[in-house]
Amino acid sequence: MNRNSTNPGDGVSRRSVLATAASGLALSTSGCIDRVGSVVGQDVTDRLALSITTVPADSDREAVRIARHLEANLEAVGADVSIDMRSPSEFLQTVLIDHDFDLYVGRHPGGFDPDFLYGALHSRYADERGWQNPFGFDETQPESLSGTPSPSRDLSETAPGGPSIDELLEEQRRTNTDDDRRDVIADLLEEVVEQKPFDPICFPEEYRVARTEHFGAWDVDDDGANDGHLPTRHGFLGLEPEPGVDQLRALITDTRPTRNLNPLSATIRDRGTIVNLLYDSLLTEHQGELVPWLAESVEWEDGSLHITLREECPFHDDDDDDEADRYVTAEDVAFTYEFLADTSYGEADTPSPAPRYRSQTSMIDDPSKDIVVEDFLEDDSYELRIDVATNIESVARRALTVPILPKHRWENQVESRTESAEAPQGEWGLVTMSNIPAIGSGPFRFEDSSQRESLTLERFEDHFTQDDDDLPDIDVESIQFGIDPGSTAVERVANDGADVTASMLSTHALKGRLEGDGEWLDDDETSETRWIGPRQSRMFYHVGFNTRAAAFGDSSVRRLVSQLLDKSWIIDDVFGNRAKPIAAPLSDEWVPDTLAMDEDDEEPVTPFFGSDGELDVDAARDAFEDAGFRHDEQGWLLRNDDT
Amino acid sequence: MLVQVLVQLAVVVTLMTLAGIALFVGRYRLRETRVEWKDRVRAATPITVVLAVVLLGNSVARQIVPDLSWMIDWNPTWEIYDLEGQFILWLQSFETPVLTAYFSFIYIYGYVFLLVFPVVAYFALSNTRPLRELLTAYTLNYTLGLLLYIFVIAYGPRNLLPEVQALMYDTYPQYQHLTRQVNRNTNVFPSLHTSLAATVGILAYRTRDVYPWWNLVAGVLAISVAISTIYLGIHWAIDVLAGIVLAYVCVELSRVFVGRWSLSERVALQRWLPSIRRQ
Repeated sequence: MNRNSTNPGDGVSRRSVLATAASGLALSTSGCIDRVGSVVGQDVTDRLALSITTVPADSDREAVRIARHLEANLEAVGADVSIDMRSPSEFLQTVLIDHDFDLYVGRHPGGFDPDFLYGALHSRYADERGWQNPFGFDETQPESLSGTPSPSRDLSETAPGGPSIDELLEEQRRTNTDDDRRDVIADLLEEVVEQKPFDPICFPEEYRVARTEHFGAWDVDDDGANDGHLPTRHGFLGLEPEPGVDQLRALITDTRPTRNLNPLSATIRDRGTIVNLLYDSLLTEHQGELVPWLAESVEWEDGSLHITLREECPFHDDDDDDEADRYVTAEDVAFTYEFLADTSYGEADTPSPAPRYRSQTSMIDDPSKDIVVEDFLEDDSYELRIDVATNIESVARRALTVPILPKHRWENQVESRTESAEAPQGEWGLVTMSNIPAIGSGPFRFEDSSQRESLTLERFEDHFTQDDDDLPDIDVESIQFGIDPGSTAVERVANDGADVTASMLSTHALKGRLEGDGEWLDDDETSETRWIGPRQSRMFYHVGFNTRAAAFGDSSVRRLVSQLLDKSWIIDDVFGNRAKPIAAPLSDEWVPDTLAMDEDDEEPVTPFFGSDGELDVDAARDAFEDAGFRHDEQGWLLRNDDT
Repeated sequence: MLVQVLVQLAVVVTLMTLAGIALFVGRYRLRETRVEWKDRVRAATPITVVLAVVLLGNSVARQIVPDLSWMIDWNPTWEIYDLEGQFILWLQSFETPVLTAYFSFIYIYGYVFLLVFPVVAYFALSNTRPLRELLTAYTLNYTLGLLLYIFVIAYGPRNLLPEVQALMYDTYPQYQHLTRQVNRNTNVFPSLHTSLAATVGILAYRTRDVYPWWNLVAGVLAISVAISTIYLGIHWAIDVLAGIVLAYVCVELSRVFVGRWSLSERVALQRWLPSIRRQ
């Protein structure tokens, strides 16, 4: 939508400013290896050259190992491969905002209902920036946009016949029965696996570690009452602190939340655990279901959600003089959806949808028309109706998981920032600003942060959970989030340097400390340190292809590259079997038998060329040649330009 | 845990320094120092102030260096790896618990001792030039090192090659708290550990007539520090080479600077002192 990158307004492309300065430097060194190659080979430009974007091992050890596995196998078939390692926020900037990648290895946030695929894949988002269709996948465009003929144009493959992914994404929102929807989603998954805009690898098992000494919530005997709650909002409530304990010391592996608390940022947030504590949404996830949170009730009726808010829930800035701004009202809710659809709130020439929550709000066609505030003449209205473009209740309810923003604050922000008529999506100031202190209505309020060191939130005394007997209390005065890069976090909790790891631990951090499904650290009850987990993650590891790039415009090439990934080896060697391999990015109940991994974790559609992590190089090379590539005398993989 | 590590570090380095004084400096130099310390402090004060300012500035600047670096976005991690390949894996193939313990000790304690002791040892000399050169060279290391960190984003081997063992952090995780205070994982080119150690090594060689045994010890320690950074999976060999080049440049520059500044100091003093006296 806003791909007008020549004049990006106030997000001013910091890259272009400095690129000029840096390019001389970069040119003088970066290309030297390639240039030697081009002297030796006759025409090096034909060689398939790819760069795999990923994050460093400090941030995600598993991702780097998958990237290296793929790199080695791509090299083996003769491609020229490099790894582009970037910090977590720069990684997301490159992939989601700049779209400057060939393929990447990372974690997809996934979603609550299969409908998340609508945002992930629909071609209407192919030009947008954010988690919505970062692959640029668009079946309506001819494959291979670059003008170079693609190696294989097997026309029968894309021949009209079955419905397209776009059609299936829309159809699953319109089916009449659950069984119908299941069938449509099965068709959709088969089509996705065939087209392979991305290749899902596995759902990791989430483990955390907690000290039982100071908090009763984790010191449970058999039922593991609080086990499933982190990282949801409920995971930070009802902690049952011992007398004298008033602070929860939680560890996160990543420094980003200490620097930026903007709920709209696509590059800072992963699943928004901390933002969810600062902001309320109408529904919240609890034990695998969406339950009323800021909404007192949500009624579903023929394509409309009738929402009644809890009354008199204040925002965190309730000490301001203006009484009218105090409570979260239907007005704020309506504003939030309009604002997410256009963060410039009508001020920019082209709308600038938020780079996050696009998928969650995609069933609201036009928030300014489809959201009706009841009794809008009253000062504080607490009722509203949202008309949605679906007749599936679970799809519609996804819309109610976004954070509700205070209208009075964000409206001011928009006004103070729209001096130019440009608000490039995902890059303009409102979306990239740090938003510290964050003002929401959530159970915790921003207290203090120290960049790259820590973030402290304090209990919001006026939060509705304090009065509602059916909800757990906020029973700590504050939460201090400290930073610990993975490997030492377990040790720190064991030494009483922290109470819990809020981020999921990498498989590597579990190594040697967790045997089988043991409950205690090192199987030692006296350690007073307990495992929380496994929780099946909704995030999944995947390889994403940039279908805008010449190399990956063609689905047959994407499938071939997928066949260089040995998922069963990855699960075994990289994840120590603490992950569930997948061919399709949804939980089992939605996946048709044809797409289920077999008992040896063998991929059903794009099986690995080889076994036990060892590539059968000849088979892989032959397959690439069959797909229209050729190898030169040095074994380099060349695009066949003759066809 | 950080406090514990710091206290431990302070105690061990103090003990090592005391031993160093007893072994290398000797009683008569201490006696002279007691008489002349004021003059020596005066001579070393300007550069000490500059060094302190640079160190303070450094700790502030490091907050923004990563952001600046990503704006420039020159990330040669892969090129470094392409050039040197599996060298680090080869080096780690000699891994034994004893070696890991030795190099971890060197990386933390040996390194700090190597930086602290020559300050004491050169302070004990009547000629303040080695001391001023040393402090100037430290200052240059931090300044030029920081500049390079701004321009170059490079991740260390353990970040790109997870098969590389982060030997020290795995064995002694407590040290990670210490090193995290001092550095970011994108700042590995060049190895400042190596460049500062090599700086001390080169200067020790130049003062070998005064401190022959220290020259030997400093040489062994400096080489050990350089190897430890690779062996422990923290730096690439290329970072270490760059560190040595940086050390050489800093020592040479410090020689030039110290010569010039002392000259100008003398001129300035001769001009100013009478006027001050008159007042």
